[in-house]
Amino acid sequence: MGSVRDDVADLTAFQSWIAETSAELDEHAGHLTELDRAIGDGDHGTNMARGFGRCAELAGEEQFPSIDAYLKKVGMTLVSTVGGASGPLYGTFFLRFAGPLAATDDAGVHALAQGLRAGVDGIVARGKAEVGDKTMYDTFAPALEAFDAAAVAGSPVAECLRACAEAADSGRDSTEPLVARKGRASYLGERSAGHLDPGASSAALLLRAAARTLA
Amino acid sequence: MISLVVVAHSRPLARAALDLARQMVEDGAGPHVEIAAGLDEHTLGTDAAAVAEAIDRAHTASGGDGVLVLLDLGSAVLSAEMALELLDPGVAAAVRLSPAPLVEGLVAALVTAAAGADLASVERDSRAALRPKAEHLGTEDPTGGGPRTPGLPDAMSVELPVTGEHGLHARPAARLVSRVGAYAPATRVVVRNLTSGRGPVDALSVSAVATLDAQQGHVLLAEAQGPRAQEVLAALRDLADEGFGDLPVPAEPLADVATPVPAVSAEPGVAGSGLEAAVGPAVLLETVPDPHGVSAEDPRAEAARLAAAVEQALGQLLELGERAGRNLGEGEAEVFTAHATLLRDPEIVRTAQRLMDAGSSAAAAWSDAVTAVASAFEELADPYQRERAQDVRSVGERVLRLLLGVKEPEVLDDGVLVVDELYPALAISLDASRVHGVVTRVGGATGHGVLIAAARGIPVLTGVGARADVPAGTVIAFDARSGELAVDPGPQVRAAFEEMVEARRAEREAALHNAHLPALTTDRVRIRVKANVSSVSVARLAAGLGADGSGLVRTEAVFAQWRQAPTVEEQTEVYRALADVFDPHQVCIRTWDAGGDKPLAFIDRPTEANPFLGARGVRTFTSDPGLLLDQLEAVCRAAGGRSMRLLFPMVSTPADLRMALDLLGRAARRAGLPDPPEGLEVGIMVEVPAAALRIGHLARGLDFVSIGSNDLVQYVMAAERGNPALAPWSDHLEPAVLGLIRHVADHVPEGVPVGLCGAMAGDPDLAGLLVGLGVDELSTMAAGVPIVKQRLRSGSVAQFRELAEQALSAADAAEVRALLERSRQHLLQG
Repeated sequence: MGSVRDDVADLTAFQSWIAETSAELDEHAGHLTELDRAIGDGDHGTNMARGFGRCAELAGEEQFPSIDAYLKKVGMTLVSTVGGASGPLYGTFFLRFAGPLAATDDAGVHALAQGLRAGVDGIVARGKAEVGDKTMYDTFAPALEAFDAAAVAGSPVAECLRACAEAADSGRDSTEPLVARKGRASYLGERSAGHLDPGASSAALLLRAAARTLA
Repeated sequence: MISLVVVAHSRPLARAALDLARQMVEDGAGPHVEIAAGLDEHTLGTDAAAVAEAIDRAHTASGGDGVLVLLDLGSAVLSAEMALELLDPGVAAAVRLSPAPLVEGLVAALVTAAAGADLASVERDSRAALRPKAEHLGTEDPTGGGPRTPGLPDAMSVELPVTGEHGLHARPAARLVSRVGAYAPATRVVVRNLTSGRGPVDALSVSAVATLDAQQGHVLLAEAQGPRAQEVLAALRDLADEGFGDLPVPAEPLADVATPVPAVSAEPGVAGSGLEAAVGPAVLLETVPDPHGVSAEDPRAEAARLAAAVEQALGQLLELGERAGRNLGEGEAEVFTAHATLLRDPEIVRTAQRLMDAGSSAAAAWSDAVTAVASAFEELADPYQRERAQDVRSVGERVLRLLLGVKEPEVLDDGVLVVDELYPALAISLDASRVHGVVTRVGGATGHGVLIAAARGIPVLTGVGARADVPAGTVIAFDARSGELAVDPGPQVRAAFEEMVEARRAEREAALHNAHLPALTTDRVRIRVKANVSSVSVARLAAGLGADGSGLVRTEAVFAQWRQAPTVEEQTEVYRALADVFDPHQVCIRTWDAGGDKPLAFIDRPTEANPFLGARGVRTFTSDPGLLLDQLEAVCRAAGGRSMRLLFPMVSTPADLRMALDLLGRAARRAGLPDPPEGLEVGIMVEVPAAALRIGHLARGLDFVSIGSNDLVQYVMAAERGNPALAPWSDHLEPAVLGLIRHVADHVPEGVPVGLCGAMAGDPDLAGLLVGLGVDELSTMAAGVPIVKQRLRSGSVAQFRELAEQALSAADAAEVRALLERSRQHLLQG
């Protein structure tokens, strides 16, 4: 997939990540929309597919001088094209992710860990969600923790990302029995239990795609 | 006129809402309105970038009057918040996001804005727009919480903006209650939080008012009914205008603040021993037993007992507050005023009354009522307010003690008090003539209560854990300087401690007796011992303790509480006041040393990976010297006719010094002087090893240099100060550090005196050594001045030089320490 040298991810790898995420979202748009229809306004799949589809086109349209310039552009594109609450949330994720990568052309374990943390912190700051609120943060929080744990243990990028994606899947699954406390789904109260959260599901897709492309 | 922005998921929805609102004003009139809604004409969603652009256009159209954003739901809120981050901060500062429902809020905002109201008023009106509908339908706002009381029919009302940093926490709430109390019971007042929808609550209940959870930026609505309704509302409006008495800026310092100096107070029981060590029997606080086992008499008898206990507790608190105000300062006294207000709280009293009516004893009822209120505080969002639960429990316990006949903490036996944690109220009320020292199981040396005790000179050893689990009466001996603690010591250890305490006492007495005499070595060489100061009141304390001026005014500490930079005039006033306190001695103003571990709210600093190795001291001002120029101008203005020094921190190269001196020249011209004032001496801090090694070149033409030993140690040893794990490497007795001090003294240009400020200067055991290394003057914390002076009187410069030679040839810090111990014994006996 992306070009990987010496256990680092370069600009091309990040562009593959976005392309892969976009493809995944296209494939699962129907499923995500169905999930959202159960507990929200039924547009999450189309919104996300539209936003990331637009992002996937960026690589062919423009030369990016650096990883962080690319990720910032992805962030701003999501902000302007997704439409729902996921726009500012995922937008913030990528804008903040770019910060710690400003000085690097090859993101290794350390830089990825910092980027991921900054991105997830951004989502928390923007959405003010906590674990158990039945949101995308229920996916991101354990995923970040797993990545850090693997990184601290000295694992290479590929392993860190694999651990991260696996934790993301469990995080997504943990949202099923929860009662939503944030977002449109919270208007449903108890009736929101028994469904996966769509945002948690798309977040797991994003991190699964990262494991396939960044290492 | 302000502008509006409508953010919604649907463009047709936004347009329709706006059409509806526009009907309320004449064609063409009204404010400029921008729409940022939908991703396009048909796609639902919001776009933060489009919102930012719309706000930017609205801002331009408003001519700077401000922008109010009305929102629908969900992502509209997130996108608008994100837009504020995308905008220039100058623009974002003029924008408010309205929590109002879109249609109602837009109508109200458009009408009020068309009438020319300012941003705050339009925002307020938009927020209140839901009220008519809610009232018509007879429903309460569903977001309300906390203890409620019915609203008042036909009441007059006034809105009260909350501006204080911590919102309406316990003390401002207490002030509100006491204002209202002056008009009760004939005039009733209820308050609600318009922003959060909480309330209304009885304005006479401080606990209920605090549960409104009013935070900075919220708006309260006070409604009054009764013969003096208008008066009480006017009084409340005044109180709100004063920030409920809680405006934090500028607190200290302006010059005329007279603060008592508890450490040297002559009042009995105020000043502690100041010896940092104590020996005595352990004194324990008597715990309050569970009151639920107490059997109850008839409710009226119980109520009478409770009323009597509350009355007695009030009397105690008033007396404690009065004494604290006189001896420790107004800030400390307010703790008790706040406690007293809690005691008068009708909410607690009513709850207790209900429980007694149901058959509880006074003690059990009171305990439950207090617990309920404390829990309500603990549920609040603001951490500062949550801490007020401690005040409630503390005052509740005072009454319980009276009801159950358990001794008050201020009537303790003689000895060493053992507590889990030293709370401020206890630290303030301790009788220092009985409590010789305090040992805490948990908590650090910088807790508020510990600092209060330290200011009083009461010895405190913190965080000893289970070692302090002893029965009352067990002998405890400790030395806070070394951290040593002996529990139930054998006769020899106990005797050694007592001897050490006695020796310290004798030396301290002699030192205080001679404090105002110069420090002359036995061969009649005068060493100036000065004080490091961080406020005018500390300067007064230092002058009172015989300091030969100040060798270091930490200006960043003087203005640490300020949110905005002090003006040239404000700084001039403070620097003059400081110079006058020490007259005829010199005062040395160090320019801003923000950075490292000392952030200043009004100096923007980038986040750095290694702040101590970053842009601190004069380095902060290379690209934007404005704040430094202001400060230098103030020093030039203050220095006229006064004996003053100016000190630049973190100078490491000649270029740093040139920049500093150029700025000083410019500042003098701004002050209307051709050159910096005659009497103003200029020097640099020596903290960076590079500066120490090149001092012969760097200090040419300067009037003095001053070694900052804390920073010098951390830079020489590459061991970050303040990191306890690095203590073995940040020992200022390392021969490498001593050698560098000697290097500075040996290579400084002829006639340039060498000072030293920092922790080294405050350790009396090191005073002789430093003089032996060639240091000409010392500057230490105020309380250390008399002892350092006294110790310098015990030897000759020749003896000190010999000591220094031996120290320089020692292998390591431990060897130097052993050497100093031998020398101390020798000098004290000699």
